[in-house]
Formats: sequence, structure tokens, C-alpha cells
Amino acid sequence: MNRQLTELTDEELIKEFQDNNTIEAYEILVKRYKDPLMNFVYRFLGDKDACTDVVQETMIKFYLNKDSYRSFAKFSTWIYTIAANLAKNELKRRKRRTIFSIDNNDDEKSLQIEDKMFLQPDRATDSEIKNEMIQNALLKVKPVYREVVILRDIQDLSYEEISDITGLPIGTVKSKINRGRAQLQKFLKHIYKE
Amino acid sequence: MNNFYNEEKKYSKLVNDLKNLPHIKAPENFEFNLMTRIENKNFGDSKIPKTTSFNIFKFLAPSAIVLTAFILFFIFYPSKNEIQNQIEQNQTVADTQTLIVQNNDKIEKLIPNKVERKSTTKKSVPSNSQNAIVENKTSKLQELFNQKAVSVDEYLSGTTVSKRTIQRSNIVKSGDEPIVDGFLIEKQTDKQTIEKYRAALDSLRKAQEKADSIKKSQK
Repeated sequence: MNRQLTELTDEELIKEFQDNNTIEAYEILVKRYKDPLMNFVYRFLGDKDACTDVVQETMIKFYLNKDSYRSFAKFSTWIYTIAANLAKNELKRRKRRTIFSIDNNDDEKSLQIEDKMFLQPDRATDSEIKNEMIQNALLKVKPVYREVVILRDIQDLSYEEISDITGLPIGTVKSKINRGRAQLQKFLKHIYKE
Repeated sequence: MNNFYNEEKKYSKLVNDLKNLPHIKAPENFEFNLMTRIENKNFGDSKIPKTTSFNIFKFLAPSAIVLTAFILFFIFYPSKNEIQNQIEQNQTVADTQTLIVQNNDKIEKLIPNKVERKSTTKKSVPSNSQNAIVENKTSKLQELFNQKAVSVDEYLSGTTVSKRTIQRSNIVKSGDEPIVDGFLIEKQTDKQTIEKYRAALDSLRKAQEKADSIKKSQK
């Protein structure tokens, strides 16, 4: 039975979970999507602990609201939409908390605005440091652009899929991706010299 | 389209680096923790969606309030009689005036009889010319009575008396004459007027006597 389930597509698995409440089907879907969602949320939030919580929450929502999924949509876009919304909520919650801490504590304020972009030139060639710099630069990009850039360039989703996830027209998605890339390149100008 | 591809080229290095970023993986105990939460129904902020069904009791309370308000509105709604309508007030005044005219008619009926009774004391039939004089003078008297006409019986019984001053004044007031409040005449009776009435009555009597004497002579 399990062997048969693993061969099913995402849409077939969720249908099985919806119709027969097959927990194995749910588990297979969790296995398939936990890592891509972790990667997406981590790149969006920049915090591993928070991203684990968000993905767990996404899976719980998927479990509880399985009937709200409609078969005409792709399962991947549906689960990405849930994860993106939860990640955005987490970001808003963090912003509120940061504003509150800045108002109350000056020491924390200096920590919040610390510029991690400054690195020694000889270390900048190291790929690990480069990746860290890219991640830090990505977090400085506006969330509306960051989301689409991650979905397109890191998660490798098509424009149509991104359009379905964000609810934006394809043209808008494309322009947002370009603006996001431009912002990112601007933050990484010492790496990508034009 | 070319512009789009140029943009892609422009950011090709960046896009390549983004694609090559290390993929973050979920912790090993991720699934175990998730399934434990599901088994323990520890859903945190997420709640099981409740299927909302139509419940008539939900609508009972608000509908009862609305119904009560509706009934109370009709019970305590000010009736149109309490609202002072200017047109209706004018109509009341007009009705009162009609009543006065009717009362005057009654008096008119009474006055000729009195005059006739006085004139028939000597049982004489006046001639055409003398009759004309008598009728003329009688009409004058009627006019005088009409000017002073007050329906006393109805006034006393209160059937025609309105509480409103304006209507009351319409009953008691006649023409340009001073206002009579009840039976107390504010202004003293003019002697000249009394003399005038007496002279009129005397002339009537004389005319009657002349008429009688003419009849006798004819016989």
C-alpha cells in the first residue's frame, strides 16, 4: 500500500487524504515538502528556529484544512501559499517586536542596525561567506520582492506557479522579480561589479 | 521581450549564485514532532475549522428584539390627532363660523315673529307701501341682532365653545363691536343706540296705527 502511495502524484495523495483520511498519504506529502518549504521560509526569514516553527505550522494547517484544497489547483502552489502567508505573519510579528524593543532599549537598537555587510576582502572569496552575504542582502530586500525572488531563483518555480502563490498577474511577478534582483545586486555591489 | 532577456543576462551571475545557495533541510525530528502534535491534538494557534450550520436559535433573539421594537413603535407612535395641523385648525374655525351663521338664522326666525306679534296687537292688515316700510325696518333690526348674535344656550352648555381663544373670540365677537366675555358687556350701553331702537319701534307702532285707521275709514 505504502509503495503504491509513494508512486502517486501530490494531487492524488491529497485526494486520498481528503477522501479516506489516509495518514500515510499526509506523511508522504510532508516528506516531500518539508525541505523545500524549510529552504523557502529560511531564506525569507533568516532564522532557522523560526522557520522550523513556521513549516510545522504550515503542515498543521494543511492537516486541519485539507478540505479547503481544490483539485483544480496544484498542491505545491497551495502549500507554498500557506507557508508564505505564515512567513509574512511571522515577519510582521517580528517587526512589531523590533519596534517595541527599539523604543525601550538603546542597546538592542544598536544591535538591530548592525551592518553585517562589512567583511575583509580576502575572506569575501570564501563561498561560505559569500552565501552569508547573499542571505544578509536578501533579508534587506523588501519582503514583496524578496518573496518572488526566492520563489523564482532559489526554489526554481515557474512564473505561473509564483503567480498562483502570490495571487499577482504574471507581468507583475516578472517586474517584481526584476526589481528584487536589482535591489539585491545593489546591496551586493562589491561582489557584482557591473 | 529583448529587454526582458537583457535583464536576465544582467542578473545572470546573481541568479546563478542564488540557485547555488545551500539548501536548508528540516531537522531530523521534524516529522516526529509534527506527528506527535497531531496525535496529541496540540495544534497551537491553528484551530480545527468548525462547520457552520444554520441554527434558528441564533436568529430568535435578534428577531424578538426587532419585533418588540416594531410593536412598541406602533403603540407609542403619536396619533395624528395630537399633531396640530394648521389646515385642520382653519377648518375648525370655518365650522364655528358656520355654526354662528346657523344660530343667527334661528334668531332671524324668532325676530319676525316678535315683530309680528307686536304688530298684530290691533289686528290690522297694512297696505303694500306700509308693509314695505315695516319689512325694511324689520330687516334693519335683524341686522342689528345678527351683529350681536351669540348662541347663548350652546355657549352655556359648552358644546360650541372651544378652548382656544381664537375660536372663542370668533363666537363672542361680531364685527367691529367690542368683545363680549360671557354675559358681562365690557362697554356700557350707548344711550343713543337705545334711543335709536326706541324711535324705530315707535315709528313701527305709528305706522301700524295709521294702517289700522285707514282700514277703519275704508269700512
